[in-house]
Amino acid sequence: MKIKVNFSNLKNHQNFLFIIRLIEEFLQKKGYLKIDLPVLSPTLIPESYLEVFETDFRYFDKREKLYLTPSPELFLKRLLVEGIGSCYYLGKSFRNSDPPSSLHSFEFTMLEFYKVKANYMDIADELLEILRYINKKLKTQNSKLKTKTKNQKLKNQNLKLSFDKWEKISVAEAFEKYADIFEKELFDHQLFLQKARKKGYQVEKFSYEEVWSQIYVSEIEPHLGKNGYPTLIYDYPKEFAALAKLNPDGKTAQRFEFYINGIELGDCYTELADWKEQEERFLKEDKQRKKLGKINHPIDKGFIQALKYGLPDCAGIAIGVERLAMVFLGFDSIDKLKVIDIIL
Amino acid sequence: MKINAGNLKKGDFILYQNEIWQVQKAEFYAPGKGAALMKAKIWNVKTSKNIDITFKSGEEVEVVEVESRLMVFLYKDNENLYFMDEKTFNQYSVPLTAVSGLEKYLKEGEKLYVYIFNDVPLSVRPPLSVRLKVVKAEEAVKGDTVSSAKKPVTLETGAVIMAPLFIKEGDILIVNPETGEYTGREGK
Repeated sequence: MKIKVNFSNLKNHQNFLFIIRLIEEFLQKKGYLKIDLPVLSPTLIPESYLEVFETDFRYFDKREKLYLTPSPELFLKRLLVEGIGSCYYLGKSFRNSDPPSSLHSFEFTMLEFYKVKANYMDIADELLEILRYINKKLKTQNSKLKTKTKNQKLKNQNLKLSFDKWEKISVAEAFEKYADIFEKELFDHQLFLQKARKKGYQVEKFSYEEVWSQIYVSEIEPHLGKNGYPTLIYDYPKEFAALAKLNPDGKTAQRFEFYINGIELGDCYTELADWKEQEERFLKEDKQRKKLGKINHPIDKGFIQALKYGLPDCAGIAIGVERLAMVFLGFDSIDKLKVIDIIL
Repeated sequence: MKINAGNLKKGDFILYQNEIWQVQKAEFYAPGKGAALMKAKIWNVKTSKNIDITFKSGEEVEVVEVESRLMVFLYKDNENLYFMDEKTFNQYSVPLTAVSGLEKYLKEGEKLYVYIFNDVPLSVRPPLSVRLKVVKAEEAVKGDTVSSAKKPVTLETGAVIMAPLFIKEGDILIVNPETGEYTGREGK
């Protein structure tokens, strides 16, 4: 790997920081409290689909393992239990094993915010307001720059989207509409794999989750956020519940993701407050991590302790800020926003 | 040879749905739910069409050994491009459908890499750039000072591309043959 200086991106980088300022302005006006947090932690929430960075702290002849946080969730939920109320973190998060690409960097800026006494659809309303706010402010900024040459204008004209409303579609509706997979097949592992095989996917030796993700990425994602509005796709199968509360149907979780132009920008849950269920999911994820040979970090038991004490009803969302800025500024890659980049 | 889709890289030739494709782009993709995937853009060597596909990172993909052999471009007709292997003097034809417009920027006598599989030519590796002489260029309109303005110019192969206003007949242009874009002028 090497360090790359992209000085010609300075203007884009300034626009990226401008979008960050807009987000913070909006959240603070709405009463969200900004929190800064550590990025090194001795324990983590076990998540089987991502890999973490491991390092160690050394003093004299002692060593202690520390991990770079893939999300600030483990800290923010502790504070929610303490009664902090609606709050946010906007800073670096780290995910290992994903080579840098147009949409991914192993070190990235994450916005995570929580709203108390709210569920995932309340966050959806708030989020739409944020998107509208960014869009409006960028437009005003553009008209201020009108007297200057074209090149100096912000590039968001490419975004021919209206933020008046969401295009809302449930995961089950999307599978039926775009992949011709019916609800009955979607939630039944055996029927699902049979249907996938018929469609030409390799299913032998692969799990429901793996094949599901492949179909989701190949056949669903490319359609999202392309019908004139940003798309909100909600109610994922319980296998993808992660830290989200289940719906009363027992088959789906209160989770949504949002998309613009086929690009996933954020992931939201109505937060699971039931410590027993969360502990079970942690153990399952931890087992899966071990099976996959991933870094064996300690499970965050303090997190379960905090849930035992009582997490208030709340919902939260994590947003990749580089991706969001990239979409608003009309770029096809997050590297365009960086003046210093670490590349392979 | 079967390889793990996680190891696919740009330039590899693969067998997919009984046809040979070249990987144009392969990106590791972690959707944040479920396992990681390889998203690839692949190019069909026969039809020159691009498609997007997704592999599970643990999925096996059949990689085929396609040879790229340096040959001289002889001429073209309405259906094929004709090449000669200078070592064996064997002639090969590549269908125009496999090169998607590349032929507009090829000069006879030029040396190019031809992709060969089981001694059958499949396609031509597009060169990064080609150098072509301008045979026709209108004078730029006086007073037009917008630096980004362009005009059409005709190249020695007959192709017409957009070039900056200062380009004159006889100039040698550097062109990207895949997009037909002007990328520069050869220094005199």
